[in-house]
Amino acid sequence: MSEQKKQSEDELLEKVTSTEYKYGFTTDIESDTIPKGLSEDVVRIISAKKNEPEWMLEYRLKAYKSWLEMEEPDWANINYTKPNYQDVIYYSAPKQKPVLDSLDDLDPEMKKTFDKLGISIDEQKKLANVAVDIVMDSVSVANTFKDTLAEKGIIFCPISDAIQEHPELVKKYLGTVVPARDNFFSALNAAVFSDGSFCYIPKGIKCPMELSTYFRINEAGTGQFERTLLIADEGSQVSYLEGCTAPMRDENQLHAAVVELIAMDEADIKYSTVQNWYPGNAEGVGGVFNFVTKRGICHKNAKISWTQVETGSAVTWKYPSCILKGDNSIGEFFSVAVTNNRQQADTGTKMIHLGKNTKSTIIAKGISAGKSDGNYRGLVKISKGATNSRNFSQCDSLLMGDKCGSHTFPYIEVKNNSSKVEHEATTSKIGEDQIFYCNQRGIGTEAAIALIVNGYCKDVLNQLPMEFAVEAQKLLEISLEGSVG
Amino acid sequence: MGLIENLKSYSEGVQISTEKKELFTSFMSKGFPTTKDEEWKYTSLKKIVTKDYNIENTGEIIDSSTVEKYSLGFDNRIIFSDGKLIGSPNIKGVSVNGFSNFGSNTTDSILQLNKALAQNGFTISVDKNTVLESPIEILFFSTTENNFSQYRNLISVGDNTEVKFVERIQALNDSTSMVNNFTQINCAKNTKVEYNKIQNNTPESRLIDTVNVYQEQDSTCEINTLIFGGSFTRNNLNFEQNGSNCESNMNGISILDDNQLADNHTFVDHKSAHCRSNEMYKGVYLGHSKGVFNGKIMVRPDAQKIDAFQSNNNLLLSDNSTIDSKPQLEIYADDVKCSHGCTIGQLDENALFYMRSRGIGIEEAKAVLTYAFASEAIENISVEEVKLLAQKLLAHKLNVDLDFSL
Repeated sequence: MSEQKKQSEDELLEKVTSTEYKYGFTTDIESDTIPKGLSEDVVRIISAKKNEPEWMLEYRLKAYKSWLEMEEPDWANINYTKPNYQDVIYYSAPKQKPVLDSLDDLDPEMKKTFDKLGISIDEQKKLANVAVDIVMDSVSVANTFKDTLAEKGIIFCPISDAIQEHPELVKKYLGTVVPARDNFFSALNAAVFSDGSFCYIPKGIKCPMELSTYFRINEAGTGQFERTLLIADEGSQVSYLEGCTAPMRDENQLHAAVVELIAMDEADIKYSTVQNWYPGNAEGVGGVFNFVTKRGICHKNAKISWTQVETGSAVTWKYPSCILKGDNSIGEFFSVAVTNNRQQADTGTKMIHLGKNTKSTIIAKGISAGKSDGNYRGLVKISKGATNSRNFSQCDSLLMGDKCGSHTFPYIEVKNNSSKVEHEATTSKIGEDQIFYCNQRGIGTEAAIALIVNGYCKDVLNQLPMEFAVEAQKLLEISLEGSVG
Repeated sequence: MGLIENLKSYSEGVQISTEKKELFTSFMSKGFPTTKDEEWKYTSLKKIVTKDYNIENTGEIIDSSTVEKYSLGFDNRIIFSDGKLIGSPNIKGVSVNGFSNFGSNTTDSILQLNKALAQNGFTISVDKNTVLESPIEILFFSTTENNFSQYRNLISVGDNTEVKFVERIQALNDSTSMVNNFTQINCAKNTKVEYNKIQNNTPESRLIDTVNVYQEQDSTCEINTLIFGGSFTRNNLNFEQNGSNCESNMNGISILDDNQLADNHTFVDHKSAHCRSNEMYKGVYLGHSKGVFNGKIMVRPDAQKIDAFQSNNNLLLSDNSTIDSKPQLEIYADDVKCSHGCTIGQLDENALFYMRSRGIGIEEAKAVLTYAFASEAIENISVEEVKLLAQKLLAHKLNVDLDFSL
């Protein structure tokens, strides 16, 4: 490579790694918070504030007790100062709960926040046909298109409302896919979750619109503990979007969400995430700790597809998984994980094949820049009874800059001799020959890198619903600004 | 009792240095690894170490016909009976000696045990500019019943040399024996070393085998591991590249049946720039056998221009066979090309049908396909005798009488 070209590439990398987080701002809304720390009383207060029934309180207390006995896991290839769990505020809700007859009633401050985020609710209402259940600091403040959904019998509401209005469904399914005792963070979540989304699609119903929620962390030092429960009954179909941006903070914020998906016989769930929590500044100060447990269970002929674009968080610990319990069920995982500056990501998936003729596909693309570390950690398990099962995994890593790291930890366990498993992984940087080829044809180095990165992520971005694909590309642009067009 | 107790009472009776005593104490405090240890996640030693073993060797005389039976017939042979050196060749430029107490710091409990208690093994040093045409054959025989033996071997190869080895560990009775074998290979500049391991021991034998290779600039080292026998085999193969333009090659073939278990752990530490590594492990599993593969490639910061390739392919040919595979990449440099692939599957039905429709029996057709599957790794072996043995053992395992040397 010529000296000049080398220099321009260095400049480019410099530019990429020095771009500041654009969505860092704080909304000034009075919040109703409780004192810092976690104790049995705090769990009781949260439950009481939510006016929850007795069984819910018991569930929380049981989870809290098992959390006390658990240790924070440290097997992931990430380094961070463990949060002091007694220094976190476990509940905060905007004091003023707007009545949403029309969008004009919305707090102007909050409206501004959404506008900054580029989510124009009215526009979305009219144009995109998306029902948005906006979660701001754990309490849902906007809920639209409820009527349209209600006509079809679809329940889409904050989980706290669901506990009040549909206790039988919540009681039946909560904690069935991710038990409270599953891991340290799921136990914590089960004990203190303040809100989240609940969704139920009745038998044979195809959800007419993409369901989506936006999570935001707002109150300084407040952990966000979201709980999502999505049930697709027999033969139903739903596409669910989840997106996150968080304001700039200097202390680490804790995010320990739990997402449970239940796909009954013949059901089809598509769950897409664009995650852009605050990653900390270039020195790695601040930033969100994202410790998430996401898991879905597929019954007969059901399908669950996870798509994620991960660009944010200082530390990510996330493994959206599929339990392929029913025969002929399908699990998919498509992921783009971008790490920059000093971000660390340990992410991947688990595909657990239990039923016959089950299929799973894993496409994971990692991009590491700056001084960051990206890890893929995945498990493909074919149990003895999973005859004729099939798995294909591909995990590629792209390295940008000589100070970053990229690692792959796939676990493959096969106990059935009629199943086929394929796994491939590559790690490389953008080929000089590829850039040279573009240069030759009059495409500048910057545009060439953009082209290559876009092509590299295409397999995953193509999986996103239209509305999200645009936002995902925007996030990729911001995360790797200067290199992605 | 169990092995830990056996070792404890043995250690009380022997005189060892303070350094070794410390190592032994350290081992005793940790004990043998359990499945909670990430490196032993899929391989349990529990059943093996709860048995009783003889730590001391009685050492019987073995006759030359026994040696011939297990030898591949090379001229240069190093023969051990119960760890005692009973035959060593006279080769120009090569000095062969018995056990030497060479050090190497380790936190691995099994290697600590080896360092603390091993009193047998070989020390080979090859002079500069030596090129050996014929391989050096190393035969370890054990005659003691229920023997637990530990060997500690060192190979130092001078600049510009080329040398090949064939190693075999063989128990001469059907008792439950166990070997903890450690070999260190130091490859100086511009050397070419090939080390072939034939692991076809008795059905009740257990083996934990560790090879550490330290490579200097321009060196090429190839380790071939052929696993056919033994009830339990654990291979730890570690390469450390300390100079530029090094090449590390690994080929492994495991053909297992009954209740055999074979666990191959490999680790390539790319510490210098402009180096290569190639890894190919093939496994064929019959009966109730279990295979484990864990391959790790590490590229250190600033070790640019690394080309690392790893593949692990497995055939599960019976209902009760299992495989756990974990190919790992840890990359801290950007200008590298690293890839790994792992497949688990069966023989192609169409190919089988094609052959059967042309009058080839099902067993033979399966054998041909299995051979074709494994041959990629066999082809890489440069010692003709080892290649032929691999083919013979493969045919034997698959219960067919086929001549593959077509």
